[in-house]
Amino acid sequence: MKKPPTRYTPIRIITLTAAFLLILITPYLNMHFHFSFIQGWFQSLSIGNLWFVSPLEGLESILTSRSIYGPLLVGMLIPILLALFLGRVFCSWICPISFLSELIDWIIKLITKKKFRPFGIKLSRRILWFALIGEILLALIIGAPIFVFLSPPGLVGREIMMVTLFKTVAIEGVVVIVVLLMHLVSKRMFCRYFCPLGALLALIGIKRRLVMKSDPDQCIECGICKKSCPLGLDPQKGENLSPYCWNCGKCSEVCKASALRFVWKDL
Amino acid sequence: MKLKNKKLSKNKKSGNPLPADQSKRLLLKSLGSAGIFFLGLSSKKAGAFSLKASPVKTNVLRPPGAVPEDIFPSKCIRCGRCVEVCPYKAIRPLDIRSGVYAGTPLVFVEEIPCYLCMKCVEVCPTGTLRPINQDETRMGLAVIDKHACVTWSQELALCRTCYNVCPFKEKAIKLDELRPVIIDKYCTGCGLCVHGCQVTQKNGKKAINVEPIYAFRTVKW
Repeated sequence: MKKPPTRYTPIRIITLTAAFLLILITPYLNMHFHFSFIQGWFQSLSIGNLWFVSPLEGLESILTSRSIYGPLLVGMLIPILLALFLGRVFCSWICPISFLSELIDWIIKLITKKKFRPFGIKLSRRILWFALIGEILLALIIGAPIFVFLSPPGLVGREIMMVTLFKTVAIEGVVVIVVLLMHLVSKRMFCRYFCPLGALLALIGIKRRLVMKSDPDQCIECGICKKSCPLGLDPQKGENLSPYCWNCGKCSEVCKASALRFVWKDL
Repeated sequence: MKLKNKKLSKNKKSGNPLPADQSKRLLLKSLGSAGIFFLGLSSKKAGAFSLKASPVKTNVLRPPGAVPEDIFPSKCIRCGRCVEVCPYKAIRPLDIRSGVYAGTPLVFVEEIPCYLCMKCVEVCPTGTLRPINQDETRMGLAVIDKHACVTWSQELALCRTCYNVCPFKEKAIKLDELRPVIIDKYCTGCGLCVHGCQVTQKNGKKAINVEPIYAFRTVKW
């Protein structure tokens, strides 16, 4: 018997909370103490002189303005490399929507005392790719990067900034509420089917190095991994190797036979 | 039906009868404006087919170093970094009601002018605000309304607030026999003079206004 796998969820929750606190506190620090070392949120973030730019927004800006700006490309580099090697980890380990969804899940768990919440609506997973293509096409037709109007990870940060700086809330915040309501209807519905950023990161991470690998010899086919997966993937069918998997490590944690482990895949 | 009659009679009683179709008209009006809003959402340039024009106008300007309005909405990713970094809270983001211009930053110089600290141009990740120097900033051009300005329209008035507040005194603004004159070659359009001007005209403008003449240059590829 191998040793039981690491419990990733506590680490993930800590990372999510830290990422959320980062965007919660920095506008306040910026406003009152002119602390500009860390600035911005998950559309564009700077730590010192290190820049991060959300790849989808950057790509749309390049496509719609038909011009390339060097610093933008450099800013997109780290998120793209992260997705290239680790897959869609931004979604499960950093995204503030993920944090809020986990918070909602936790509250629901406290109320209902059920371990797993059933999925409400199940659609074809390919919708995710159509969301990405449709998004980029629509942005090109309109001539403005429209993901920014409905980009929930960026909007959360912007709303927090609006509240701290101007004591108002922008109307776009409705999008965040809609996304969270969708999560109430069906687990991670927006993330699974409609998030273009998630789709782009999944596309970049198709050949990712870090994968959740299942050992069919150890598997006792209890099906608990499918129940626990926030994306509704079934590791028993090998769906953990599909581009949709966002490497949250939840299935590995619940697996009683410890048949699921993170593996650094060699090329 | 009963309710409607009651309402009508009530109106008659109070003495100002409302036309029965007023509410309908209001509904149509709001529907129409909603339609215009959605049409505006899909149009980029203020041309023949578009109903949504750029929000940039007199005294409502883009932050320093902004690219022309032609490509501003397509280049800006609305991350709001310039809004966050502005120490004077002069830069404000638009909300979704502005169609394609939603989320883009604006400086309302009448309320809070730009103090040219040049922090916003350094943080812009997309190059929508290009990193430039203070004196290269061209947010617009200050124009004095000689009919409204007290030193120009009145004989014995002494006001030189715009001259006093200008960060490029004796360069961008000079005094010609105690009357202010703008030198267009050096004016940055920061709007400090607009903010300081004491005269407010009937149409809401000041005696000195910043016109965004540089924002509407066309872009050549």
